Amino acid sequence: MDATILTNVVDALPQFDGYVYPNERTLHPLWSVLIVVYPYITGLVAGAFIMASLVRVFKVKALEPVYRLSLLTALAFLLCATLPLLFHLGHPERCFEIMMTPHFSSPMAMFGFVYAWYLMAVLLLELWFDYRRDFVEWSKTEGGLRGIIYRAFTLGVTDVSEPAVRLDARVGRIISIVGIPSAFLLHGYVGFIFGSIKANPWWGNPLMPIIFILSAVVSGMALCVFIYMFLCWARGVTADMRCLDLMVSFLFYAVVIDSTIEGLDWLHRLYSAEEGIAVLKSVATSKLFYTLLIGQACLGTLVPLVLLGSMQLVRKKVSELNRRRVYFTSAVLILMGVLAMRWNVVIGGQLFSKSLRGFMSYKMEFAGSEGWLLSTGLLILPFIILIVLIKYFLDRDLPTIENVVPGAARPADSPEAQI
Amino acid sequence: MSDNITRRGVLKSLAGIVGGILAMPAARTCKAAVQNVFAIAPAPKGYDPFKHKWLMALDVDRCIGCGLCVEACCEENGVPEGHFRTWIERYVITQPKAGSGEMRGETIVDSPDGGKEGFPESLIPKEDILKSFFVPKMCNLCENSPCTQVCPVGATFDAPDGAVLIDKNYCIGCGFCVQACPYGCRFFNPITHTADKCTLCYHRITRGLKPACVEICPSQARIFGDLKNPVPDDPLQRFRSTNKVETLKQYLGTGPRVLYAGLDEEVR
Amino acid sequence: MPPQIIRLVLLTIGIVCVYFTARYFLVPPSFGQYGHYRANALQDIASRQPFWAGKASCVECHPDHARKLAAAEHKTLSCETCHGPGRAHVVNPVEKLPKLNMSLCVRCHQASPSRPKWLHQINVHNHYTGSVCTECHVPHQPNEVP
Repeated sequence: MDATILTNVVDALPQFDGYVYPNERTLHPLWSVLIVVYPYITGLVAGAFIMASLVRVFKVKALEPVYRLSLLTALAFLLCATLPLLFHLGHPERCFEIMMTPHFSSPMAMFGFVYAWYLMAVLLLELWFDYRRDFVEWSKTEGGLRGIIYRAFTLGVTDVSEPAVRLDARVGRIISIVGIPSAFLLHGYVGFIFGSIKANPWWGNPLMPIIFILSAVVSGMALCVFIYMFLCWARGVTADMRCLDLMVSFLFYAVVIDSTIEGLDWLHRLYSAEEGIAVLKSVATSKLFYTLLIGQACLGTLVPLVLLGSMQLVRKKVSELNRRRVYFTSAVLILMGVLAMRWNVVIGGQLFSKSLRGFMSYKMEFAGSEGWLLSTGLLILPFIILIVLIKYFLDRDLPTIENVVPGAARPADSPEAQI
Repeated sequence: MSDNITRRGVLKSLAGIVGGILAMPAARTCKAAVQNVFAIAPAPKGYDPFKHKWLMALDVDRCIGCGLCVEACCEENGVPEGHFRTWIERYVITQPKAGSGEMRGETIVDSPDGGKEGFPESLIPKEDILKSFFVPKMCNLCENSPCTQVCPVGATFDAPDGAVLIDKNYCIGCGFCVQACPYGCRFFNPITHTADKCTLCYHRITRGLKPACVEICPSQARIFGDLKNPVPDDPLQRFRSTNKVETLKQYLGTGPRVLYAGLDEEVR
Repeated sequence: MPPQIIRLVLLTIGIVCVYFTARYFLVPPSFGQYGHYRANALQDIASRQPFWAGKASCVECHPDHARKLAAAEHKTLSCETCHGPGRAHVVNPVEKLPKLNMSLCVRCHQASPSRPKWLHQINVHNHYTGSVCTECHVPHQPNEVP
């Protein structure tokens, strides 16, 4: 009895120290890596869409070359967004219940409708209105599988007259305007899911949805920069520097706003020092040292801020090649940093007990439903889908027709023609 | 306009309407077949959930930490190993360091296997202990339960008689309710792949029996009763009128209904 | 109406119809009756077979033991607390309950600084080691000597 038993019990379960509620002593956190991947993916969708809407809504003409690429990126990632959730559910075969009997007091119940709305009424619709004219043209010139696809996507509407094209442009703009709050809703509700959990002192605060949205915008913009540069390199074309410089400017200012709000969150916590602060500080500095302090703060935020900030100041003095190197490095660092941020919030929030007296620690497995293999696969899948989408819809051999500014002919050596 | 109304058109519309009417019983049979998944099992007759309001109260001064309640619950409800619908915590508050000017030393809390096999002797020597006590924990039967608020499909709910229950035939296993409970009383059941928690032994109380933990507790640390149908010399009424009572984490606004007597400020 | 708008409106109506048809089939019966849940779930949960018989069913056949117990300090105990699950015995009285061993007494009565003072506690290491509890104590009437 007595002391030996207690020592053995504690040794047999090295995963927790201090006092942890008995139901918190699980092998891996309830919301583990799949729930890190899901907000990351929807965040990329929202951010890529914001990049695209800069062109349509805010009429930033210089970003025209990445308009379609951003939308296709958003689509590729959106198509994969439900997969981590389905893998995570205890009963994925009952997933339809969320749309059949949604419990409206739950932010998670919004998922089905917001996702369906964003996919169908915003993204696909905006893509359709932008591509409609091309679909009609390509269905006439292309044969085989491509021809069938393009014909199907025309939805049987073949009117490409001047008034029809003008209507397309107008409706497309309206959808873009509606799409911005929709994108915020798509990712903001995820932040709200965490922000609404008052039981958890790390998660439950009003800044959480805002931080999620801002870091989503940052990650989506960084993704667009990354993909644009990668695509140009893959096709052996030089990137349009005016477009790239402007994209990175927007990215820089987004990072500034995002890091300010995240810094404010921590500042407020440390200042008001509520009951859980001791345990939160401990988690942040010991268990999350590499992912939070090094990964998210240093490499993911500070270094890109310095790099991109200096580019804003000395852009003219730096050669295009070096600028491109800096941009690419920063984009990759930011992408990793935002993934680290999701990890820190989701996993970090489950590393301490709700008794505020103890910590848990988890070892991630390789295979299995909460393992490395599945999550890496789910993160790679959207890129594969994007390759297919680019092949069919952004192929450089396909003639593209500018239909935003009706009647304006595209010069042969314009940036878009280069892609 | 009248040119468009042809005999053909009228016959087509009529056929459509008749077809629709004939399809309705077929649709209903199909619906019944699909919904057979949610088959109803026979339950105690004559139980009206609106005529009862159950509550449990916990007397910390009477808990002896034997852990028989935890064991009884696991056997009654088939709770999987390592998970708990109820558990006991032991609080050991040490003496303050001499001359430190403190009221008390540190607080050590433990709950080996939820207290299921009782508690081994504390590693802290007796002379260092200022005070020590056991606290039973369970679902707090919240008035504004955060757990039922966040369920996306309506699988967990506040029953009209005060119990907070989970429909394990409907739960999708998202885990939101487990995250939302501030008291740690919910868990993810690895066998049913749904959320799980104390049901107040619903299958016992609807048959006029007491919950298993109340039945087995040797020292009357757990008091159970029906607020809408108090018995003569009701133990719950007596508890409330003789003790100064407290609830856990009241500042969160969850409206926990489970009353504790003899709680210390160190209890979370 | 421009053709593309008509086509989209038709598509939207089609999707909405599919949704409501799905709802007709997939929302379970009794959902929403008492609240946003399946009211039949109450019956599902209540239909589980109880495990512990409960003191009342022991008292039915053993009123004498119950009377003796109620007169002394162990009156707060249920029979099954010490004797274990009794349902099999209630259903078929020929089935006897297993014999008890003294670790049960120790489980509650071993002295601990965490236990309240009203409980009679002994340190099992130096309380008549080698003897059995029932040599000096009567479980049903702890204030009596055998």
